[in-house]
Amino acid sequence: MTAGPHPASSAFVSPSVNAFTAQLLAPAHICIDDGVRQSVRDHLLSAVPSLVDELPAGDQVVITLPVLRQTLLGPDGSLRVDEPFTWKPAFVRRSLGLAAIESCLQHRHGTPAEAVGAVADEAVATWVRTGWRTFHWEPWYGGLSVGARSVVLAEAATWATALWSGVDWNQFASLPTVGGPDDQWICTAARTVRLKGRSELRVGIAAPHCCRTGGHGGGGSEDNGPGPSMALLSVSGGAPSEDWRTELGFLALVASLRSPSRPVPARVAGLWPDTGAQRMIEVDAGILGAAADRVIAAVSELAAARRDSAA
Amino acid sequence: MLVTDERIDKDSQMPEEWRPLAGAELLERLRVTGRPRPALDPTMFRRLHDRLNEALESSMPPGLGSTPVVITKDKLTQVLTCEAHHVASQFGERRPSQAMACGALIDSLFRQLVVTGRIEDPMADGLAALTLDDHQRALVEWINQLRAPQRSELAVEVERQAAGLVARWPALSPEWLPRTQEPIKASLAGGRILLSARIDLAVGRPAVDHASVGIVELKSGKRRAEHRADLHFYALIEALRSPAPPFMVATYYSRTGELDVEPVSEDLLVAAARRTVAGAEALLRLATGGEAHRTPNPLCGWCDALPTCGPGQERTGTSIPQDGSRARELSDEVELSGDDGLSGEVELSGEVGLSGADELSGDDGEGQ
Repeated sequence: MTAGPHPASSAFVSPSVNAFTAQLLAPAHICIDDGVRQSVRDHLLSAVPSLVDELPAGDQVVITLPVLRQTLLGPDGSLRVDEPFTWKPAFVRRSLGLAAIESCLQHRHGTPAEAVGAVADEAVATWVRTGWRTFHWEPWYGGLSVGARSVVLAEAATWATALWSGVDWNQFASLPTVGGPDDQWICTAARTVRLKGRSELRVGIAAPHCCRTGGHGGGGSEDNGPGPSMALLSVSGGAPSEDWRTELGFLALVASLRSPSRPVPARVAGLWPDTGAQRMIEVDAGILGAAADRVIAAVSELAAARRDSAA
Repeated sequence: MLVTDERIDKDSQMPEEWRPLAGAELLERLRVTGRPRPALDPTMFRRLHDRLNEALESSMPPGLGSTPVVITKDKLTQVLTCEAHHVASQFGERRPSQAMACGALIDSLFRQLVVTGRIEDPMADGLAALTLDDHQRALVEWINQLRAPQRSELAVEVERQAAGLVARWPALSPEWLPRTQEPIKASLAGGRILLSARIDLAVGRPAVDHASVGIVELKSGKRRAEHRADLHFYALIEALRSPAPPFMVATYYSRTGELDVEPVSEDLLVAAARRTVAGAEALLRLATGGEAHRTPNPLCGWCDALPTCGPGQERTGTSIPQDGSRARELSDEVELSGDDGLSGEVELSGEVGLSGADELSGDDGEGQ
């Protein structure tokens, strides 16, 4: 086992953060067998294709957590026309912030505020030297003036500090997976329907007693750690919506559909640093089913909105 | 590199021998308020939360939509000053002004100083920062279209204040976890009310045994009475969301280098909660079509509603054409004449022309 992160003594961690982290890393409570995963997958495959088969050829529907939230607002929300993409500090803060946190966990820097500048400079230098873009924003950031760069760094530092302070890192037995590629699942249909789930942390946890095949501690990386179960942590802005359970369930759904060889996440935690809110769900068949229903409703709404706007 | 300008602003009431705090002294003033830091008392904050919730629930008018009513410091101040003024302020965009531009640029430069520890070319750096903010698009265009004398006047003031920041603000240790423009929110009354603010600078880790977060608001204009109420509102939100209060709230005036530090106590939080409930009641009533009460006050001369407001016209002692052009003329006069040209009455209210600076730059995203 790798040396665990020790960024600050737990004595300096607030009681609520302490309890939240302990709950996140506790052994899973519920066993979810592959039958549940298969059944949810079948449910989606039976409902989704017919919803999108009238869309123009080549069209695709992408369901992310923000899209799921938007469709809750009804036609006005789902019909919002996207502006052409241009880089903004808000689009950089998560990737840069997570890289800064990872750097802190690897003891390269003490705090995210200290790390963001070095991480960004390093990314730009690598891109200049090799042409490789780890984050994609390197050319944009590299072309900014000092004043503009400071906004990008400030946004990332503030975002990352909220996550840094929201978790007791000392409780992790080994490094969690910070960020990483989005979970994705593509529904086989005449028009592509892609589900994308994004979690800020993925961590291995002990499986429930009832389905343990071997003993191990919790709090390891999903890939390197010993835990056959997995917990996810998601960070969102604002306040939790009334539908927060389904939203966290959506992340578990996409992660479980992504690959049959990976464990179905046993737990998903949500942090809303703006309001200081913490929420957690234990994933079960009901949660996954509700998330799948929500996806079906969202695809239906989006497809109807596109058909209406085309008509 | 900037040259430090120690000139104290011409409008400052401070004695000549007074010198602003700088470096370690400034940090010490922020760290040590003279009172013990409040002990963490979850029951106190639960009580505060419950009472606030109860009061807001009972104020909830029938027919309120499902979208949360967002309460910011500016909305609170406006509606508690004059409801009609608040209603008038909701329509149309604020016209950019020199003071507004200066405030937005200084806010950006302060953020840059905290994050990078340096400011090289204040106007260029500040404008580059504002250019990345969609909410500041109109202001940036306005600055770019300024005639040379006005732009030069703006640059001189921005450079003077930036020089003061560079000279006086020491580097903050990363261990203090400095956060700039941090959004803080508290959701109340079952999510139907959202208290929202954006803090210029927060330092300190979340509380363990005692309050340990400090909140600093930067102002490029002069002192105004409502600045303290704004900070109390921030303290309340922080106390509700953490749940632990900040140990202090402070306003730093970049124009003069003055620093107002106030320790946070339970009394302060209770008073802030009462003020918030009073403001929320008015905002909720107005949100459901209630009539806006008119309260004559020193700001009437600058209110968009003045052309149609009898009490306001009586207060200002003038008859204003119904098209509102007089209000705009007045606003321009103040801007051109600077604070020296303000009457005693306006002095009491604080510099109206400058109020927009912090409102636009600091809180633009609060309600989002």
